Amino acid sequence: MYHYLFIGLIVFLIGLLGSVLVKHVIKILISLEIMLLGVNINFVTFASFCDNVKFDGYIMALFYVGLGAVELAVALYIFYLMYQKNRSSEL
Amino acid sequence: MINNPVIFYSASVLIILFAFIALFARNVINSLLAAIVVFFCGALFFYVLGSEYNAIIQAAIYGFAVPVIIGVSIMFVGTKKDNIKTSYLTLLCAGIFILAFVYLMLMSLAITPDTFNMTELVQVNAFDTLRAFASGIFINYVWAFELISLLLTIVIAGIGMIGGKSWK
Repeated sequence: MYHYLFIGLIVFLIGLLGSVLVKHVIKILISLEIMLLGVNINFVTFASFCDNVKFDGYIMALFYVGLGAVELAVALYIFYLMYQKNRSSEL
Repeated sequence: MINNPVIFYSASVLIILFAFIALFARNVINSLLAAIVVFFCGALFFYVLGSEYNAIIQAAIYGFAVPVIIGVSIMFVGTKKDNIKTSYLTLLCAGIFILAFVYLMLMSLAITPDTFNMTELVQVNAFDTLRAFASGIFINYVWAFELISLLLTIVIAGIGMIGGKSWK
């Protein structure tokens, strides 16, 4: 179990690192999605190892995928507006 | 649930390597391609953990749909210049992460020589998982499910309005 949790943590930290260091907006969006993937790995790991009745972690991971799609659509539109205004894809 | 350390460690190395490539590649297209690999590795993790449904959702949405959306937005803005001013810091952080990963893997191998503790695994079958999904979505978390459905509907309506406005 701890192996999977550690991988989830590492993926989350890589996403966090990218969202802090990278200047390109699309790369920041990709890093946010990678952070979300790390969170989902932790949810599914806890559901697989600790909860064999309700599998709440699976449901939460499913909801987070939906929320990630919504967040991506909204963020890309904000990025599009920003690009129309500044003509630059850098923050 | 598949308990194969070879799959786990190779998928772990792939997901970490391609996550770094996705974030620090010079070209955005390369970042997107590496991110697709990362998302598919995440789907592989879900499959290995016994959640096939989440794996399929992950592969369908993050492996195919999200890269198409991001690719369209890259086409809008172009890929003429990508200034990365943090090359030394990036290499340092990548080195620290890789060293920490190797150290923890070696420590975990030293602590548990048989790599995975098979006694802690929960027996999962596909029917129970599907029934848990159904009761979770339609009984226990029905309001959260409806809220996310509403959010997705708002996004689709917004995209339609924006597209119609830009079409005029």
